Amino acid sequence: MLELIDIKLERENRKVLKGISAKFEDRKIYAILGNNGVGKSTLAYIIMGLESYRDHEGEIIFDGKKINEKSVSERAKLGITLVWQEPARFEGLTVKEYLTLGSKKRFSEMELLEALRIVGLSGDYLYRFADNSLSGGERKRIELASILLLNPKFVVLDEPDSGIDIISTNMIEEVLRKLKNAGATLLVITHREEIAKMADEAYLMCDGEFLESGTVDKIIEFYKSHCDNCNHINKPEEGELSVRNKVR
Amino acid sequence: MLETRYDKEFEALAKYYEKSGGDVSKLLDKRVVSIIVSGNQIIGRNTVPGVKIESEEIENGVKIYLEIEDNVSIENPIHLCTGYLKPEGVQVVLIDTKIGKNSKAEFLSHCVFPRGKKFTHRMISNIEIGENSSLSYEDVHFHSEDGGVTVEAIYNARLSKNAKYDNTFHLTKTRVGKLKVNMNVDLGEYASAYIESKVYEKKDDVVEIIETLNLNGQHSSGIAKTVVFSTDESSAKIINKAYGNAPYSKGHIECNEIVKGENVRVGTIPELYVKDEKAELTHEASIGRINSKQLETLMAKGLGEEEATELIIRGMLK
Ligand SMILES: Nc1ncnc2c1ncn2[C@@H]1O[C@H](COP(=O)(O)OP(=O)(O)OP(=O)(O)O)[C@@H](O)[C@H]1O
Ligand SMILES: [Mg+2]
Repeated sequence: MLELIDIKLERENRKVLKGISAKFEDRKIYAILGNNGVGKSTLAYIIMGLESYRDHEGEIIFDGKKINEKSVSERAKLGITLVWQEPARFEGLTVKEYLTLGSKKRFSEMELLEALRIVGLSGDYLYRFADNSLSGGERKRIELASILLLNPKFVVLDEPDSGIDIISTNMIEEVLRKLKNAGATLLVITHREEIAKMADEAYLMCDGEFLESGTVDKIIEFYKSHCDNCNHINKPEEGELSVRNKVR
Repeated sequence: MLETRYDKEFEALAKYYEKSGGDVSKLLDKRVVSIIVSGNQIIGRNTVPGVKIESEEIENGVKIYLEIEDNVSIENPIHLCTGYLKPEGVQVVLIDTKIGKNSKAEFLSHCVFPRGKKFTHRMISNIEIGENSSLSYEDVHFHSEDGGVTVEAIYNARLSKNAKYDNTFHLTKTRVGKLKVNMNVDLGEYASAYIESKVYEKKDDVVEIIETLNLNGQHSSGIAKTVVFSTDESSAKIINKAYGNAPYSKGHIECNEIVKGENVRVGTIPELYVKDEKAELTHEASIGRINSKQLETLMAKGLGEEEATELIIRGMLK
């Protein structure tokens, strides 16, 4: 189980995260919904422990132990990993090499091809480079394939659907299902309803806070009525809708 | 072919040649043009129809003339192996290469100085490429871990109309010692060139690289690129230059220096000069630590920081 206790972060005198608390139980899927700039990726980076986000307040507990002081590598060794909203590119590194990184297991070619098949790519990609020659969607698919092979315990997926065409939503669902069946807990940041619907529980994020949590249906309903045509732009206390008053 | 009286010497050299990434069987293959220089002598050489090789011994080294006739396409890369197995001394290698019209050749050159403690290698390569011909030259260096090797390498290339030239210099597997590379290309009409240096320096290694594109012919184009990874107390000074002297000439220069360690000293100077308003020149340069997103992407898969750094750098220097 991963627990967040009162996570806060300030940047340039602005409170980017204002006290996030949540408990993510094993083998469940959680979705985070929220408009642009509300702090979703920031929270993902804090959970992963990226160096420039380690100055946050609050505690992160994983399987009963506080992991605030642990580096990215150490967290990864505990089974935590992150799928970036926009994955990095690597010169001179083949997709084949990239897919097998960090895994203790030696994969057969068949296993690699199967992972590529799931994300909708042919075997030809194994020998291409994971550099700028891949399109955004291709790169994202490769990232998803690499996570499937990594067999993690806790995955934060920051918009796994961004850059991937709508007709491939099924593919992302299959990846999430496979990860879950393999025993992983998933925290999925998404703007896509179909993906959110796979979650056991969802959170609505606004202006650095979880404003609401509960069933996916409830959060989607909340999002549609309050955030779809949001007129306060990241200021829940202002504007006609005055979201905070409605919630509390 | 290999002269038998040099068997022993060749054997010793071959070991390091392989370490540097070379394929020894190619040096003994009759279908492959090869020149093997050890110390101050040529210990083996082979050629095929269409390629003329002459050589002479000079003070502290050798001078080689290589000529490729018109309308010849050399199937296998020409293999050059230059070695010096003693710890001290000077080796001078002068190579004049002339390639005729409508011809094509590739060079694979390995320079191995595995025991150098107080050793200097000076190389001057003058290349002339005829109309519609193309030549690629890949130079891989393998030095001692002592840091006592000094290399001064000068490449001058002159490209006729519509000629193509590719020149890469790689010193990434061992320590550098002291290195000066100077690549100079004169491009005629419609000619194109790509020159690149990649170096991984450690300890108190010193690197100085100057790459120059002289875009003299209209519609000529060139790219000059340098990637240096500097660690420990090493230093590097990189100058990339492009001269747009003719209409519609196009040049791009690029330098990426990645640093690791508090005591490195690195710098780069891009120089762009335009003599014709229709020329177009661009440059790109960066100096800094390794990209943190790349690093943390690999770390998020469980790699340690060192391991991740090595992997990223190896990829960039490939
Ligand atoms: N280093 C920083 N300095 C200043 N502001 C920052 C910094 N990092 C993030 N922010 C701000 O924090 C807010 C949250 O950013 P974040 O990337 O977490 O948003 P997000 O919810 O992931 O948005 P999106 O849906 O667009 O991906 C944004 O307003 C952003 O501009
Ligand atoms: Mg984001």
